[in-house]
Amino acid sequence: MESDTVLYISQAMHGLAYGMVLFLVSAGLTLIFGMMGILNIAHASFFMLGAYFCYQVLSMTGNFWVSLIVAPVIVGLLGVLCERYLLRKLHAYGHVGELLLTVGIGMVILGSVKIFWGTESLPVTVPQILKGLVKLGGLEYPIYRLFIIALALVILAIMGLILYKTRLGMIVRGAVSDAEMVNALGINVPAVFMFVFGFGTWLAGVGGVAVAPILTVYPGLSDQVGMDAFVVVVTAGFGSLKGAFIVSIIFGLLSSFGVQFVPKLAPVLMFGFMAIVLALKPAGIFGETE
Amino acid sequence: MKNRPVKVILWALFLGVLVFYPSLFGLYFTNIFVIFSIYALYATTFNYLLGYTGLLSFGHAMFFGIGGYGTAIALERIQGLPLLPAIIIGALAAVMLALILCPLLVRVSGTAFAMLTLAFGQLMHVLALKLRWLTGGEDGVGGFPIPPFHIPGVISLDITDPKKFYYFAMVVLALSMWVIWFFTKTPFGSIQTGIRDNPRRVEYLGFKLPHTKAVVFIISGGFAGVAGSIYALFQNLISADDAFGIGNSFAPIIMTVVGGIESFFGPIFGSAILSFIDELTSRYTERVEIVTGLILILVIMFAPKGFSGFLRFMRGKWLSPPNANPALEETK
Repeated sequence: MESDTVLYISQAMHGLAYGMVLFLVSAGLTLIFGMMGILNIAHASFFMLGAYFCYQVLSMTGNFWVSLIVAPVIVGLLGVLCERYLLRKLHAYGHVGELLLTVGIGMVILGSVKIFWGTESLPVTVPQILKGLVKLGGLEYPIYRLFIIALALVILAIMGLILYKTRLGMIVRGAVSDAEMVNALGINVPAVFMFVFGFGTWLAGVGGVAVAPILTVYPGLSDQVGMDAFVVVVTAGFGSLKGAFIVSIIFGLLSSFGVQFVPKLAPVLMFGFMAIVLALKPAGIFGETE
Repeated sequence: MKNRPVKVILWALFLGVLVFYPSLFGLYFTNIFVIFSIYALYATTFNYLLGYTGLLSFGHAMFFGIGGYGTAIALERIQGLPLLPAIIIGALAAVMLALILCPLLVRVSGTAFAMLTLAFGQLMHVLALKLRWLTGGEDGVGGFPIPPFHIPGVISLDITDPKKFYYFAMVVLALSMWVIWFFTKTPFGSIQTGIRDNPRRVEYLGFKLPHTKAVVFIISGGFAGVAGSIYALFQNLISADDAFGIGNSFAPIIMTVVGGIESFFGPIFGSAILSFIDELTSRYTERVEIVTGLILILVIMFAPKGFSGFLRFMRGKWLSPPNANPALEETK
């Protein structure tokens, strides 16, 4: 009985950690969607790019903390460039063009990654402090998973502070509900869009760095985690940050316990959950009905 | 049209090239042409959704895949199944999938539609990988018997011969494309373009929006299934990554955008252009996706009407009388 509880708790930890990574990726996705109305197909590629930059910075400096800071920032800057020089020019012509453009960006990123780093899995090692297990209340937890959970919670807290306590956050929230109106009030909405896009891709980059030591770095990363993030956003409702958080955790737990109890069906569970939700509420759990 | 004879001559010329193509260009280019034609039909079914009805699907590969798997599994499991029923099973499997999904999908449009089709496409991919007993997992279904194309007293064609397969595939694909073309010319086709341009008005006129979308979705899915079915027969293999992979959902999107969304022949041009580029770049580099990605970005940024838009522009410049109305030319 005792060993069962330990197993459940450690499975729950795995699930929570994965859920947090999913949240980091899907938060950016849903923020960009809510703000600009575009589904950023390249988001998963930015996520993967985060993992690759982490590997690169780590092999250059040998310091995980440096790569944790630097890699997402580079990803975010790339995101800003994409928004400023590609997406913004298409914004006036409707969403389909923007959507297709992000497909192109995603393909170019995937292709470039394969050219620069090859197709094999690259290992990323975590610093000594984050290795091993820690004893808490008689149970052992892997430190790195705890670290991911803490990291995501810190980012969530900062994001919450910015969104709900600052003027910038107010503008962003306003632009999510009515961009034209905010623009009419004399606020430079394109600049806000650029900031949000950069911030969203930065989040994806953080997710990429966080996941790199667990899953290793390889070109299939974008498909694997990226698709889960898309499903999170669809299920939670487009543009809902709160929904993305809750559904990410549900999906993280669903995937870790699914692997334990119904290993064959585990990958389908999420999609099943999504199908049920959408059958009942096509806009997603927290989505506003059109 | 006033220059009808010219058009007839051009079509006859085109048909002539099609008939003698295998003898003219040899086996290698014949096979490339078959793949191109399969993707031309596939992209056409995609454009039937996007270009004619304004529904952007990011999971069109699910129909292509299920068509291929339907045919492959049917031929593998049912002894002595003739060819045409096998293809029909593939198409019907795709139609069934469309029927199951359309209650969910017809209620949404735009980005939500794209996201949902993306998610369901991925679901099909996962299912194809996991339902090992049926689909063979990663290996897919391969080596199934391919029966001859046989109509008693009329024709019997052993399509394992690549040259004969070419003729068979051409007939099936051209027929499918003609049927889709025919659909776009019916009154139903006008309702479709109406939904694309102004869904509210169409609804106000008394047409049921969800029902119409469902019919369009099913037709598009069914013919994508035919394309997948021919693909499976051609390769004698259908595998999960090939058929259901996200790349296979993006392929028709890129072809349609590069060829031109607003034209029926756009996706066919697009398929030809991309086959050509694929063939050319794969000789120099393995990383074809970076080239196609760049082309996609360039086309969207600088030539949103694609290749057929370019053709129309050129024709308007050189071939029409100076006082012709370009607007009329557009709507033709």
